[in-house]
Amino acid sequence: MFREIALAALAAASLASASAAGTPSPENAEAYIIWPPDGAVISGGKLWVRMGLRNMGVCPKGVERPNVGHHHLLIDTELNTEGQIPSDRNHLHFGAGETEARIELPPGKHTLQMLLGDHDHRPHDPPVFSQKITITVP
Amino acid sequence: MDKRIHMPFVAAAAVLLLAGAAVAGPTAAPHDAYLYIGWPNDGQVLPAGQPFRVWFGLRNMGVAPKDVKFPNTGHHHLLVDTDLPPADQEIPSDRNHLHFGAGETETMLELPPGRHTLQLLMGDDKHIPHNPPVSSRKITITIR
Repeated sequence: MFREIALAALAAASLASASAAGTPSPENAEAYIIWPPDGAVISGGKLWVRMGLRNMGVCPKGVERPNVGHHHLLIDTELNTEGQIPSDRNHLHFGAGETEARIELPPGKHTLQMLLGDHDHRPHDPPVFSQKITITVP
Repeated sequence: MDKRIHMPFVAAAAVLLLAGAAVAGPTAAPHDAYLYIGWPNDGQVLPAGQPFRVWFGLRNMGVAPKDVKFPNTGHHHLLVDTDLPPADQEIPSDRNHLHFGAGETETMLELPPGRHTLQLLMGDDKHIPHNPPVSSRKITITIR
């Protein structure tokens, strides 16, 4: 099973490198943070982030399908839609098709922004990302 | 490519089906998977003639389109004005059982005036509920 997926990913990767443009996204696709709202104050700093997506579907990493992607949550970082989305504490990957993220943030101001990645963790063409919001942990 | 991924899974699913108990589907779900309707709220009154959005909330489990076999994932089904279908069979596809096989996590819905129930149910790659089944609470809304 995993070999099948790996082969598909490999084939997909070689296809992607052949053309400069990334995986196409539906023209009206829209990513947005359902919760928390911009400006929210989160006491304790532990929260579930609910990731919303319109006119597009969610699919785990490594699986190539039209009009799908998986969520990435950018925390306290700038959006970069070039190349593979990094995987670190500022770029959380949800490659198992998760649509909610449990996170914990230290006191202070924090920014949250969503960015969809394709089967190969690359932003779509055009990229699908949410508005960047700011929340405060007192 | 679709076919290549698809075929071994059909065989795997069939084997599991034969081996599995009849009371639940062949695909395991995380024991702490939590499915809920994020919107509308239970008891919500909504205006007639206007489509409304239904949010599909899912925790401790992921979304995958139909025919994609990936551990701890499934796709959403929205049950409208109906009870949960049998847990060991394919979820019907009709106006009471809406399938979201493209990995959608929300939808727009328009219903005639009156009371209606909404409930979510996850289906595996073959549209069969998981073991244990992952379903939301059933809510009642009123359109008027």
